[in-house]
Amino acid sequence: MSNYYVGVDIGSLTVKVVLINNDLEILGQAKIRAGYHGREVAIRLEEQLLADFGLTINQVTATVATGYGRVTFPSDRELSEITCQAKGISHLFPSSRTIIDIGGQDSKVIKLLPNGKVADFTMNDKCAAGTGRFLEVMATALEIEWHEIGELVSSSENPTKISSFCTVFAESEIISQVSAGALKSDILAGVCDSVASRVASMTRRTGLETDIVFTGGVALNRGVVNALTKQLGYPLLVFQEPVITAALGAALLAREIRK
Amino acid sequence: MHTTKEKRPSYRPLVSNKVLQQTMGRYYALTSWHRYWGKFLRRPLAWVTSGAPVELLRAFNIHCAYPEQYAAIYSARKATVALCEVAEAAGYSQDLCSYARSNIGGVLRPDLAPLGGMPKPDLLVACNNICGTVLKWYEVLARHFNVPLLVLDTPFMTDQLTPQAKDFVIEQLSAMAADLAEITGRRFNEKKLAEQMNLSRKITSLWIETRQYCQASPSPLNAPDLFINMAPIVVLRGSQKGINFYSKLKDEIKERVELAQGAIENERIRLVWDNIAIWPQLFSFYKMFSEKGACFVTDTYSGGWAVEQAPGTPIESMATTYTEVFLNRSPKFRANQLINLIKEYRADGFVMHSNRSCKPYSLVQEVIRREVMRETGVPGLMIEADMADPRAYAEEPVRNRVQAFLETFDDLK
Repeated sequence: MSNYYVGVDIGSLTVKVVLINNDLEILGQAKIRAGYHGREVAIRLEEQLLADFGLTINQVTATVATGYGRVTFPSDRELSEITCQAKGISHLFPSSRTIIDIGGQDSKVIKLLPNGKVADFTMNDKCAAGTGRFLEVMATALEIEWHEIGELVSSSENPTKISSFCTVFAESEIISQVSAGALKSDILAGVCDSVASRVASMTRRTGLETDIVFTGGVALNRGVVNALTKQLGYPLLVFQEPVITAALGAALLAREIRK
Repeated sequence: MHTTKEKRPSYRPLVSNKVLQQTMGRYYALTSWHRYWGKFLRRPLAWVTSGAPVELLRAFNIHCAYPEQYAAIYSARKATVALCEVAEAAGYSQDLCSYARSNIGGVLRPDLAPLGGMPKPDLLVACNNICGTVLKWYEVLARHFNVPLLVLDTPFMTDQLTPQAKDFVIEQLSAMAADLAEITGRRFNEKKLAEQMNLSRKITSLWIETRQYCQASPSPLNAPDLFINMAPIVVLRGSQKGINFYSKLKDEIKERVELAQGAIENERIRLVWDNIAIWPQLFSFYKMFSEKGACFVTDTYSGGWAVEQAPGTPIESMATTYTEVFLNRSPKFRANQLINLIKEYRADGFVMHSNRSCKPYSLVQEVIRREVMRETGVPGLMIEADMADPRAYAEEPVRNRVQAFLETFDDLK
């Protein structure tokens, strides 16, 4: 009989669930906006994913929960995103030494030891600048969809400068740039540069070591990926589904605690 | 793990705590009622900074009260926000130290301050060995109360204490002695100062010995114990009552070590703490560690009072001792200090409180953190908070970091 392990990552914006088997294969994954009822959404999402494979919750050997909603989720163990992210990334990219993770409400840099364990980490503090939420607010101010950012930024020739580090003040800065007639693409390029510069300085603070993996929802945004690559001066490795890497790590850890 | 709100203490209570409460209770009562006995006994009340040369003041029979210590009590009793708001409304910046803000708030609105606030001072003594803020803060107080302000300027030490710097401080101490003679109407008596220094030496060695017992595994004390039990070494240095208390504490700690009784249940991880306590969250914050078997076996903050007096005449000794305070020294010195503590106390890691209020303590911490990690190979965590103002403390991000940090000690298999 095969064993199944589930990792659940209840983030500030999105819930992610990953199902793996004993051979560490990702059988399935699912994600959805968390909203107000993160816990219920996560439970339903896990049930749906399992149902897709003809499984029920009782057939799962172990579940590990992570992310902001980890404490209330019924799991075998709750672990921090740092531990889970490190596990997931070092599994996907064994050569990685630095992880840059930009999620909905926090950005973090994790330094890994060669054995994949956490050596050190830094997180943004009490401020949403340089996070997914920051990009969302700016996209909303410019009346475009979040996923359009990458495309638009690639056409920018003259990025504007966003000088403020504060999400609220940066938004008003953008509004004045709009009224001054700046192009949306140029403003967005400025926004991406601003996120990248904040995260790059955090990365240098933690100590930059290659290979560098960029993960979290914002790693899907080509504008930020390019800006960050340019600022750090090194290529960034990105998993095709960067949103689920912490949930994957949680699933891998679920297998370790019940091996 | 599901967190519950049950009130089970995750620490072992100290029997000597009763003596501590009596000792401190008596001190607060004496201080509060100073106006009824101070004049009569010709013992003026001085508000002093925590690094002030208190032995000299005691040699003049001056009764000392510590705004920093009252501010810590305001915070532990959840009065800081209201007091800070009073100061902020009066125009003081939110970026000003929360001890200064809540003290000024308490001066303006004593009715909002625990213990009825501080009694009015007859003089003020500030020493900048702990920070530069105290100078401006005490100037504000001097203007408000219209009382004399004596300042001791201890030059910052980039390396060793230079003879010039030492002479500079000695000269100021002599001038301060002359000023105090004028203010109190008493003559400066070097023998009395030497007696005070002796008493100080006694209480300090008791505090040092007590702390050293924490090199044992399990450690008999955890950070909150150290923070609570440091009160007499700060405010009653040189008093017999203080000495009596630390003798009792030391005996109890010695016994704990002999019985292998730890401050927390199942000590698994030994940590060193850097920076002032997070007073408004004293128990809830450290509980995040103790419930996972992590004990703070020593710290740089309450350790600031566990420093032996320098040799020389009383004035020379004071000049050196008060200038060599660790906050008045280079990042290199402070990194070495932490490295030594980690080695001596066989610590597995360290936690730094980046304290929004205390700039001299906090600004260089990142440099020190990296140096200590490189030198010792143990992990160090940085927590952002404030020693007194709970508005600077974000529970969830802090919990997140603490959990991630503690998980790095686990082999999750």
